[in-house]
Amino acid sequence: MSGILDILDVSVGYSWHKPLFEHINAQLDSGTVTGLLGPNGIGKSTLLKTIAGLLPPLKGSIRHGEGVKKNDFCAFVPSQPLRAVHFSVRDTVSTGRYRYTNWLGMEDREGKLIVESVLERAGIKHLADRNSASLSDGEYHRVAIARALVQDTPLILLDEPTAFLDIANKRSIGLLLRKLAQEEDKGILFSTHDLSLAMEHCDFFWIMTPERELHRGTPAVMKEQGIIDRLY
Amino acid sequence: MMKRLWMPLLLLLLMAADLFLGSVSLAPADVWSALWGNDALDVVYKIVWNFRFPKMVTALLAGMALSVCGVQMQTLFRNPLADPYVMGISSGGGLGVAFFVMGSSLFSIGQRSVPWLFDLGTAAFSWLGALAVMLLVMAASRRLKSNMSLLILGIMIGSAASALIGLIQYFSDAPALKSYMLWTMGSFGNVTGDRLLIMTALCLSGLLLSVYNIKDLNVLLMGEQYAQNLGISLSRVRNRIFLATTLLAGSVTAFCGPIGFIGIAVPHMARMLFRNANHRVMIPASALTGACVMILADIISQLPGTQSVLPVNTVAALMGIPVIIYVIFKNRAVDL
Repeated sequence: MSGILDILDVSVGYSWHKPLFEHINAQLDSGTVTGLLGPNGIGKSTLLKTIAGLLPPLKGSIRHGEGVKKNDFCAFVPSQPLRAVHFSVRDTVSTGRYRYTNWLGMEDREGKLIVESVLERAGIKHLADRNSASLSDGEYHRVAIARALVQDTPLILLDEPTAFLDIANKRSIGLLLRKLAQEEDKGILFSTHDLSLAMEHCDFFWIMTPERELHRGTPAVMKEQGIIDRLY
Repeated sequence: MMKRLWMPLLLLLLMAADLFLGSVSLAPADVWSALWGNDALDVVYKIVWNFRFPKMVTALLAGMALSVCGVQMQTLFRNPLADPYVMGISSGGGLGVAFFVMGSSLFSIGQRSVPWLFDLGTAAFSWLGALAVMLLVMAASRRLKSNMSLLILGIMIGSAASALIGLIQYFSDAPALKSYMLWTMGSFGNVTGDRLLIMTALCLSGLLLSVYNIKDLNVLLMGEQYAQNLGISLSRVRNRIFLATTLLAGSVTAFCGPIGFIGIAVPHMARMLFRNANHRVMIPASALTGACVMILADIISQLPGTQSVLPVNTVAALMGIPVIIYVIFKNRAVDL
């Protein structure tokens, strides 16, 4: 376990005049699963996008591991990943290897093996040749996670990965994230409103409260301090 | 395997038909003989090599260019209704032509007095007009982050150009108006000699650039945010796609007039036929399908065996609209 993300006094939002959340200080380690909780509109997605580099921080700085380039640092999975009609699951996952494929986006022998291995690990090998548009939401979320996995980044950010899923799919995504952290030493940070899922699978919580405070700690400590009860 | 082979075979068949059929009825044996360089029958030789062959090559290039453009625009904007002209290329080209036609009538460079200068000027001004619009859009793309905002801006620029064209038309005399109207109907018949060489060079450059865009287009199909997360510079990719579009659609518009429909409909036909949205398949598939459709439209517009010729634009639209309606009803939704 090693530090892969340092957030130093960061403010997030879309306007300098009206930041959504200010003075965020947090660290994240590899091999851990962290749940980002908070009420709607507090800035969870904005914080994730800011960490992913999709939005600039209004203030402060975000540091990642030494020697890791900005774009090689994290993969971001949006809450409703876009899918293309008549685009196979294998091709969809392969786009995540943008940095490694040739000018036409084609994999070499080793790349093909990596994609197959990720399809296997994400439990979607049997869907590899299916049209992405024909998959269920739960299946496609697995594809999006596999796509993030082939990006080969130390950190994976997920914005409400279980928002539209049934209980079985929620649990299976939770287990997959847990497995990725434990077996592949990935740092996982995901936002969610599902407290039971977060309690079951997270090592740490980041809780954004309506008072604009960020509380960090293990689920047990957060519960003990009454922060979870105040939130829900 | 058959699926991959039948389309090139159909294209070859249509290319041959375009050479053998036309307003003037020629014996197939004479056409065949002329194609192999036998100029014993001078008239047949001239018709085949000076008119039908360049026209067939122009239709081939135009079909490929517009379809490949359409794919790129539909992917970039994730909008199944986008076409090569969505960013105002056609209106920009039209504005350039309107300026030239109006100006040439003032300086007595009419279609009848100096035809070669008139034709060349029309093509050059059309291309410049399209280029000017594209440069404007590219400059704006540095500031506008969202592709949707850019799409709206492109439509606005196109509308502004159309409004200016209306204004120019209002002050034009009858011959200038007629020249302009003929240009808008589209034709493959005027692209011969050096003009065909220039158009071929521009279209091939555009097609090569489009092939180079394949990797980024596949990522863009899954959204701008994903592309950004992969470290792709959106403005650079957009500008490369715009450059390809200007080279392709701008050149076709300059030399053949604004050929509508193909760019929007053919990518849907290719998706329906090949059932693979990966641009490594979609780009060649659209080029092939577009070439087939355009050559077929050209054959029909010649009304073989009659002395009349229909505007190719009208024929292309009448051929394709039923296909699109069929796609809509069959799939319930046209999607990317």
